[in-house]
Amino acid sequence: MKIEKLLFVTKFEELGFDAVRSLLSLTKADLNHVVFINVIERDRFAMSRVGYRKDEEIRLREAANIRFIDWSENLFEQGLEVGVYIVVGTLVSEVIKAAQKEETDLIVIGRSHKGVLEHLYSGSDVTELLRRAATPVLLYKHLSETAISIEKPFDRPLLAIDWSPASLRAVEYLKGLGDVVSEVSLVHVASEKDLKGTSAMEIQKTRKETRQKLEEICTLFETEGIDARAHVYIGDPDDEIEKAARDCQATMIVLGSSAKSAWVEKWLGSTPRKYAEESIYPTLLIPPEKK
Amino acid sequence: MGKTVLVVDDDPDVRLFSVTVLEEHGYAPLEAANGEEGLKMIKENKPDLIILDVLMPRQSGIRLYRELKTDKSLKNIPVIILSGIAKKTFLRSQKALTEFGGKEVPEPKIYLEKPVEPEVLAEVIEKALS
Repeated sequence: MKIEKLLFVTKFEELGFDAVRSLLSLTKADLNHVVFINVIERDRFAMSRVGYRKDEEIRLREAANIRFIDWSENLFEQGLEVGVYIVVGTLVSEVIKAAQKEETDLIVIGRSHKGVLEHLYSGSDVTELLRRAATPVLLYKHLSETAISIEKPFDRPLLAIDWSPASLRAVEYLKGLGDVVSEVSLVHVASEKDLKGTSAMEIQKTRKETRQKLEEICTLFETEGIDARAHVYIGDPDDEIEKAARDCQATMIVLGSSAKSAWVEKWLGSTPRKYAEESIYPTLLIPPEKK
Repeated sequence: MGKTVLVVDDDPDVRLFSVTVLEEHGYAPLEAANGEEGLKMIKENKPDLIILDVLMPRQSGIRLYRELKTDKSLKNIPVIILSGIAKKTFLRSQKALTEFGGKEVPEPKIYLEKPVEPEVLAEVIEKALS
């Protein structure tokens, strides 16, 4: 799995060129093509009584075009290939369409800015995107939202392993980024009920077995020239992964995304969704392989 | 039948503008919406002139121009670049691609920054085809 082409989704207010710039370390691996997309949602210029305002659509399109020209010039001059989509429609559908058309290896998107009620009833764009995208999705957090530096998000990723097919696929994904990743922290969060047994010996045995499995994955990274460290945390993954990221001074959290149905996601939630929407860290979600 | 001119631009308004200018001056226009489609049409139709945008989906004008100028059978087709991207950027980009191991390519015959007046476009088309 290589990242040769990425799709950068922006509404401009949440993700700017500083975020693009921070991803350019990926050119040391295989990145050679950046595609920008700005989706103008109809409610920006549709008026309930008057109808459709063509002049407003043109103004929004040209404003986006002017920004993309500036960003593209910067990337073209570095020898990168650049493409642009400025489309009117629904965010998630247009992003999925562009990702398929361009056959991108990664989608980069900012945090959803929907209101609480809207979020509750329709779900966030991010959740919807995660559910529908066959491509890994990087949830980028704006610099002003975080207290951490994200100059090089791929430098020290923390990979949360739950042994699901998607999290093991994430191992393969990161292994291909040897020129960009300096160290991977592998963490497995065991829940308290996983610690079977009543004696300290038995509990330590569970910890040791988990750690051994993680060490095997560390070896896979090390053969690719990437330093890797294994960590076992105990508790609720919804909290512990973020703690581990802080402890390891990680620059990004990587998770296999859930294959749960839309209904289950909406009402019961999921760890990947929680991190995508709430973590201060850029969060890379790797979907399970589509059959 | 006039000479064929292929317009490669993802913006339908710009394509319409160029096609109208071409038809008014007796040329036979062809249209493509991105670099990939443009290259396919160039190979199939061997147009007499190409009006090429730079920033497009699928394949940019920078890569398409490079493909044309490094292909023996296509390199002599004149190209007018019509783009919002500055000429300086286009040339720097080509230089960077050459430094990465690509072949050196000549500068485009004519480089126009958008927007352009119809009479100016008509004039440069005539010049490029002469």
